[in-house]
Amino acid sequence: MSSRKEEDDALRAKIFHLLTDGELKTTLSPIPEDDQQFEQILRELRDVETSAPDELEQKLVISGFAPKPVNEQQCFECMYYMVHRKYCELPELMVPVEAEWWCRLWRI
Amino acid sequence: MANLLWLQGGACSGNTMSFLNAESPSACDLVTDFGINILWHPSLGMELGDGLQELLNDLVSGRKKLDIFVFEGTVINAPDGTGTWNRFAGKPMKEWVQKLAAVAHYVVAIGDCATWGGIPAMAPNPTESQGLQFLKKANGGFLGSSYRSGSGLPVINIPGCPAHPDWVTQILVAVAEGRAGDITLDELQRPKTFFQSFTQIGCTRNMFYAYKTSATQFGQRRGCLFFDLGCRGPMTHSPCNRILWNNQTSKTRAGMPCIGCTEPEFPFYDLAPGTVFKTSTFLGVPKDLPTGVEQMGYVKLGQAAKANAPAWTEEDIFV
Repeated sequence: MSSRKEEDDALRAKIFHLLTDGELKTTLSPIPEDDQQFEQILRELRDVETSAPDELEQKLVISGFAPKPVNEQQCFECMYYMVHRKYCELPELMVPVEAEWWCRLWRI
Repeated sequence: MANLLWLQGGACSGNTMSFLNAESPSACDLVTDFGINILWHPSLGMELGDGLQELLNDLVSGRKKLDIFVFEGTVINAPDGTGTWNRFAGKPMKEWVQKLAAVAHYVVAIGDCATWGGIPAMAPNPTESQGLQFLKKANGGFLGSSYRSGSGLPVINIPGCPAHPDWVTQILVAVAEGRAGDITLDELQRPKTFFQSFTQIGCTRNMFYAYKTSATQFGQRRGCLFFDLGCRGPMTHSPCNRILWNNQTSKTRAGMPCIGCTEPEFPFYDLAPGTVFKTSTFLGVPKDLPTGVEQMGYVKLGQAAKANAPAWTEEDIFV
């Protein structure tokens, strides 16, 4: 039975592969300015079918994942980032990430 | 013996419910131990009809002394300034308020509605509601900014939605015992003893605030409620985490964000969708930062906190 860390590592590697092999085009803009725009993205994420075979890809696309900092922002200082687990705790995402990644839902 | 009269304007009776739950001291203690004579109260008063009108007229005329006039709820002026949407004992309540405030030795506004207008005074304010001496943050209100009671004090504001019962009874005891001079008021006429410090002081989540670990769901035991769930504890003046509710808890201790109900701007952002129980941000940075904190400092502090957060901040340590 694999540990949570092993599962996180495997999923993180898969996400990195999706983001860097050039096939997955994520929605990097527009960046939500206010709460209404932020909430709109969350709503789209909630609408993603949890049983859909491409659920993970859909979430990455909608939230605009990037495998690098954007506008000098990165997961590391985001409020949803768990430093030790290297994990995004935004309830609509809940995925392992790297500290230097970024997405449109960045909040400090 | 101090005569106390309690009336309600545009109110939900929430502050009365709170008052009746007071413990330190209790509503009964006010009568039995502290010499307060409750002449009439909407939930306790015995007089009705002519008897009540006679009592009120005796107070207005000075035949009976009015030491403490407590008002709960807004002063309703609608329609068109007449106040007839809130009639009481034969006339608009606003007329009773005007006359009674003119003869009272102390006037105490209880709860957000009586202090600043609260929820009823939100735009478009169909009831033309006002607080006794404020309308939201603007000094003035129904009685006007120059109003002073017989004691020389302005209206004593005890805000909250509702006000904590012990804030109410402790201030009433201080006033009744002639210790009003000990009550220093802030610029919003709130007793400093209760409203100088922040709600965050005494919050059991302060270590999570320090290490910038966020709670993302209500009731979650780990994490601070400020970063994501709209908690206003760092910029709200109240002792909710020092003088606990029901002597044992507070909103933030129970995993619910402070909604800032002791401040005149409450409810914030006019309850616009997405602004309640959600930290309001612009480009990812909170619009309302903890009092006295600048945006650049907030960002740098957050980065440093994250970099040094211990592993236990990510675990549920309350097992």
